Amino acid sequence: MNGHLLSILLFLPLAGLIPLLLIPSDQKRSLKLCANAVMLAGFLLSLLLVFQFDAAAAGYQFTENAPWIPSIGASYNVGIDGISLLLVMLTTLIGFLATMSSWSAVEDRLKEYYALFLILQTGMLGVFISLDLFLFYVFWEVVLIPMYFIIGIWGGPRRLYAAIKFFVYTLAGSVLMLLGILTLYFQHAQEYNVYTFDLARLLNTHMAMGAEQFVFWTLFLGFAIKVPMFPFHTWLPDAHVEAPTAGSVVLAGVMLKMGAYGFVRFSLPLAPHAASEPWVVNTIATLSIVAILYGALVCLMQKDWKRLVAYSSVSHMGFVTLGIFALNYNGIAGGMLQQINHGISTGMLFLIVGVVYERRHSREISAYGGLAHVMPNLAVVFAIAMWSSAALPLLNGFIGEFTILAGAFAANKLWAVLASLGVILAAAYLLWLYQRTMLGEVTHEINRKLRDLSLREWAIFLPLIAWAVWIGVYPKPHFDVLDKPVRAIVERVTGGAR
Amino acid sequence: MLPALALASFGCVVLLLEFLLGKARAAAARQWILGLSLTGLAVTAWTLWAQQQALDGRRLTAFSGAISVDGFALFFNWIFLVASLVTILISYRYLEIEGEEHAEYYGLILLAQCGMYFLATGTDLVTIFVGLELMALSFYILVGFLRGERRSNEAALKYFLLGVFSSALMAYGFSLLFGVAGSTRLKDIGTAIQAGDLHDPILLMGLAVTTVALLFKISAVPFHMWAPDAYEGAPTPVTAFLSVGSKAASFALLLRFFLEPLGALRDAWQPLLVAVAVLSMTAGNLAAITQTNLKRLIAYSSISHAGYMLLGLVAGNETGLQGIAVYVLVYTFTNLGALLVVAALRSKGAGRGTEEDLNDISGLAQRNPAYAALMVVFLLSLAGLPPTAGFIGKYYIFLSLIQTGHTVLAVIATLYVAVAIFYYFRIVKRMYMGEAAERASLISSSLGVRVALGITTAATIVIGLYPEPFLRFAEISLLR
Amino acid sequence: MPALPAAVPLSWYLTLSAFLFVLGVAGFLFRRNIITVFMSIELMLNAVNLTFITFSYKLQQVDGHIFSFFVMVVAAAEAAVGLAIILTVFKNRQTLEIDELDSLKN
Repeated sequence: MNGHLLSILLFLPLAGLIPLLLIPSDQKRSLKLCANAVMLAGFLLSLLLVFQFDAAAAGYQFTENAPWIPSIGASYNVGIDGISLLLVMLTTLIGFLATMSSWSAVEDRLKEYYALFLILQTGMLGVFISLDLFLFYVFWEVVLIPMYFIIGIWGGPRRLYAAIKFFVYTLAGSVLMLLGILTLYFQHAQEYNVYTFDLARLLNTHMAMGAEQFVFWTLFLGFAIKVPMFPFHTWLPDAHVEAPTAGSVVLAGVMLKMGAYGFVRFSLPLAPHAASEPWVVNTIATLSIVAILYGALVCLMQKDWKRLVAYSSVSHMGFVTLGIFALNYNGIAGGMLQQINHGISTGMLFLIVGVVYERRHSREISAYGGLAHVMPNLAVVFAIAMWSSAALPLLNGFIGEFTILAGAFAANKLWAVLASLGVILAAAYLLWLYQRTMLGEVTHEINRKLRDLSLREWAIFLPLIAWAVWIGVYPKPHFDVLDKPVRAIVERVTGGAR
Repeated sequence: MLPALALASFGCVVLLLEFLLGKARAAAARQWILGLSLTGLAVTAWTLWAQQQALDGRRLTAFSGAISVDGFALFFNWIFLVASLVTILISYRYLEIEGEEHAEYYGLILLAQCGMYFLATGTDLVTIFVGLELMALSFYILVGFLRGERRSNEAALKYFLLGVFSSALMAYGFSLLFGVAGSTRLKDIGTAIQAGDLHDPILLMGLAVTTVALLFKISAVPFHMWAPDAYEGAPTPVTAFLSVGSKAASFALLLRFFLEPLGALRDAWQPLLVAVAVLSMTAGNLAAITQTNLKRLIAYSSISHAGYMLLGLVAGNETGLQGIAVYVLVYTFTNLGALLVVAALRSKGAGRGTEEDLNDISGLAQRNPAYAALMVVFLLSLAGLPPTAGFIGKYYIFLSLIQTGHTVLAVIATLYVAVAIFYYFRIVKRMYMGEAAERASLISSSLGVRVALGITTAATIVIGLYPEPFLRFAEISLLR
Repeated sequence: MPALPAAVPLSWYLTLSAFLFVLGVAGFLFRRNIITVFMSIELMLNAVNLTFITFSYKLQQVDGHIFSFFVMVVAAAEAAVGLAIILTVFKNRQTLEIDELDSLKN
């Protein structure tokens, strides 16, 4: 079984579709149980990866390789390194928690709902473990379709608009990315006379600068829209706000990471020269800083709780891309860790909005106030999530953003200064949000009747809090698994590799 | 030659059955008539199979070079076979609902397929012209088969007038080419073009007129205006057959024409095809956005698909040509599937010409989840998203453009995928997020519809997930 | 086959047939009565025949003759099908004006 651990993990959600589809649609409880059980099994299975993973070994582990479409050189080639390991763990955990959070939030068309989440889970896992660009692209696109339905069917009032905007926008990016992949594929064949999508072999391609730039920029568009980087972020507020809670959690917690992961796994190693040109680095770093500051400023003006969290994602993902394009060890390692942090903290923030929305059916910040009196447990959880997101020491966000800032400082002092402004702004908008919603007197009588967290909701938050504290207090294991792959990437980009 | 013989003889027999038996007895025997038509297809399949075995990578010519049976021709003939099989399977129930059950219908389908056979195999202007007309004449009648239905009449008339007009253009072009080459064989025409003076006005005129007629037949912009009307007004199974069979056959002809006699003039026609392809993708995709009639929407989308296929010819390398073959194959199954779902929406009791509107498909996911899900698969495949078959077709086209350095074209073509998703997903939106239509009727499918659906779905998904055998099949079809 | 009379050059025949063809195209594009439009197409087909025959004479080849026979057969078949279609249209709407056929939306 161990030889196929990744495949089992990958296809488990799809296999879970079979029992799910066999259960009659009116047996809601069985449907929920089935979906939750499959997701939990996936998470437990992924723990095996953690225990068996060897952080000291270079290269990919748990690899599997089988021919798939030999005539075009595509293969079923999967494997993980430290970067993917963390993301796979994040995916299985967030996927499970998102499913669990839907238990009482969604009562309509359950079978379709859970089926889509299961497909989505396979798609996301596939993106993080594919080592073949064709396979990667297939999973990359597969992810879009269930998310379209999740937003469009179970979303808020403007869900139809948000769903198609999300779909068309990200699709436009990813088809261009396909052109980049095909160009690389063709360039490799020109050089070696072999058509292959195998990542390891494509890394040996030597392209002319023009071709390499084309590859870099097409991939960049695909990934940047997904992250989303400023100015490609306009789909995000709509999609996040309109999606049902579980959809927002997965979207922010996992799907945004696909873009940053793409930069690190594909853009930098495959087009190192184009990626390390000063003007490219400067442009992207500038965009990242604009995203950090712009996202934070927009957050300060939001009246809608969920929209605020959505824009905070733009700001936080700006840190991740800034770290990546600092192109040094600290920057990339910090960026990779910050992705996980963002998944944890923003996941929690969206879940908190979901908890409140489920009870009160309003996302207006002004509809709340003084909730700490009514829901003390929620106030505690929210405080932790907030501190985690605002990079308070001893919690995960601090470690990630600090490492990124260290990397950015080494690359360009001005970047670090401007980005730290973003940290301050983040603290400002989050504390202000907390103050307006949780502190003070209860402003609306109706809020006095709100129930505090249930046991199930505690069970959802606890693993995330535990992970946040773990990273905050003892991040070493995380940096250990990131060490080898990040070193390899830095070496490649800074010129050691060719 | 045997497949054509089988098609022609079965076609003629079926065509005459109702006349010979008389209306009442023919009506009683209508299942037998269906069975006879299917037998005709089975015999055709058998003869095609035999030819495929005998061929073994060679190229056989017959009638002193008037037809050529090669991998290319057989590949397209399999596609025609699939098209008429699926059409016949879904027609039985459809005709029953429309109250137009006539044996002639099946006979005409077989005869149209016979015409297609000659379009794919013909290497002589006479063969090609007669094959084209056999196909077209059958289609004129099929499109107008619902005699009492105004829209069907109108579609038939418009299709007829423009079809005959383009045939006349083609004949005129042929006459000029004959004048230059002194022969009606494509091979001799090719030799004459290579040897001849390219500034010869007769030659240029002949080529231009023929090209326009060919573009008419594949419904490429700016010669596409017949397609939306014909597709919308025709009985839905005929729309399916027309959009797939007629298009594939016309493409086979276009390919043979551009690759064999016109191969030497590549530099001259390539820019022209670039323009036509881009215009087709643009006009087809943009017009489809505003359509509310499902068949009309698919008609416009099929115009854009013609543009994509032409791009493979623009690239012109091996990948591009294999890409066209794969694309046509994939498009056949997928478009048949999508129109088959539209045909299945039709139910007894509703007024004519209804139940093919966006409103009629609204809420389908609640009433018929399986049909809605399959429709999503077909639409994804039409748009070209993985893991469906459509992606494999687009993949080849894009790759061929990259290989030949047509980067800008590739960018345009890929961005139109996003546009296409926009309008295809208007249908999905209605199915999954729309309120159920008032006179929402459940689909009551027949065995034939289910079998046809099985074929098209299986192909769409299998080609998407494991295309290997299909790619090899398409590879042997290359004209070398 | 007898040779062409020397007095009438070949190009005249071709010009005539091209003229007839263009006349047919113009009729097809600009006339509004279905029957007239259909007749214009027949004119085009006749121009095709004339071209074929001309070239056949010039090249001393029988292929062109054969083609023109096929064109005639096809034209006859087209007339049969076409008139039937026109007839049903007329029965259903009592008009032969192309512009009045507008039940298919655009």
